[in-house]
Amino acid sequence: MDDAVSIRSLFGAWLKIGCTSFGGGAVTQYLIQETFIYKHHWIGAEDYSRIIAMSQIAPGINILATTILIGKRLGGGMGIFVSLMGLVLPSAIITVGMTAIYVSLSSLSRVQAAMRYAFAAIFGLSLVTNWRNVAPILERNRRQGSATLAASIAVMIGTAVVYALLSPAVVILYVAGSLTSALVYRRAATKSPQRRTK
Amino acid sequence: MNWLLFFWTVFKAVLFSTGGFGPLPSLHADFIARGWATERQFTESLAIGQITPGPNGLWVASLCYLVAGVPGAVLSCIAMLLPPLLILVVELCYLKIAGRAETQGALDGIVLVIVGFNTLLLAKLFLGLGIDLQLAMIAVASAALALTRKVPAILILFVAAALGYFLG
Repeated sequence: MDDAVSIRSLFGAWLKIGCTSFGGGAVTQYLIQETFIYKHHWIGAEDYSRIIAMSQIAPGINILATTILIGKRLGGGMGIFVSLMGLVLPSAIITVGMTAIYVSLSSLSRVQAAMRYAFAAIFGLSLVTNWRNVAPILERNRRQGSATLAASIAVMIGTAVVYALLSPAVVILYVAGSLTSALVYRRAATKSPQRRTK
Repeated sequence: MNWLLFFWTVFKAVLFSTGGFGPLPSLHADFIARGWATERQFTESLAIGQITPGPNGLWVASLCYLVAGVPGAVLSCIAMLLPPLLILVVELCYLKIAGRAETQGALDGIVLVIVGFNTLLLAKLFLGLGIDLQLAMIAVASAALALTRKVPAILILFVAAALGYFLG
């Protein structure tokens, strides 16, 4: 990872994401991963995974919290400022501009068809984004043992099943999932020294 | 328009929620009750927020533009930027307990929940489009191209939208 990231490079990276992340949050998160982890290697996949998790606890829009933490990591207070401005200014301007255009064109069937196809692509991209978010965790779990890996997969699938069947408040799912994983990790941590002594 | 009240209404909705769609219930209740927005404006702004650049939460800027023009959009952006700054406090607390297995487990658990939850929600939205073979192929091809990391996301979206415009 590169520790010496200039404020100008940081602003440029966020500005590019802010201008090109058509497709909403899924594509924005995909481009953040692509830019900071895979292209520039400014943030490690493990660190990014922690940032994503912490961002879910903060109030408001999660991607903005992610932006703040990445900006802080790479440029301190000024890094936070240029990261937020780089992401939000162009995307907000484009959003407002497209709102004005969409309202006048939304009744056209071809425009509606283009929106459907674009959303299909967004769905495909979001599957990849979700996989990239969860892969470092599952890899770590695999090293911890098959029981931990199975528990993590159960939390992930269980969340979807419980939400589909019962539609509870999202915060309940967060609390249940994080508590379950905390207990599983604690159990794995207490078991691993015993294994080594056997 | 009482701009202070308008700002507070948006700020409050963002502060006491999480995620891009989190402010929806509070904004919907307040904006409809005050006669600032219609149901259709909510639907339109939510759809626009799915395709425009940046976080999904920018649908709020779209809504505020629809109901209060450029000043409304600007105020909504300021209201959206402030609450996530509390992540800096969250991070301070996290750093104090970062070495514990339970902490890592709790954070990983949240990511696992989000991935399960997000995949389900997006699948429901996708199926709600009236899925056919062409749409399924677009989704699969987009995922495959994204995995190669050789094709920019914006190009994938543009080609998909163009195919929809000409073939759909």
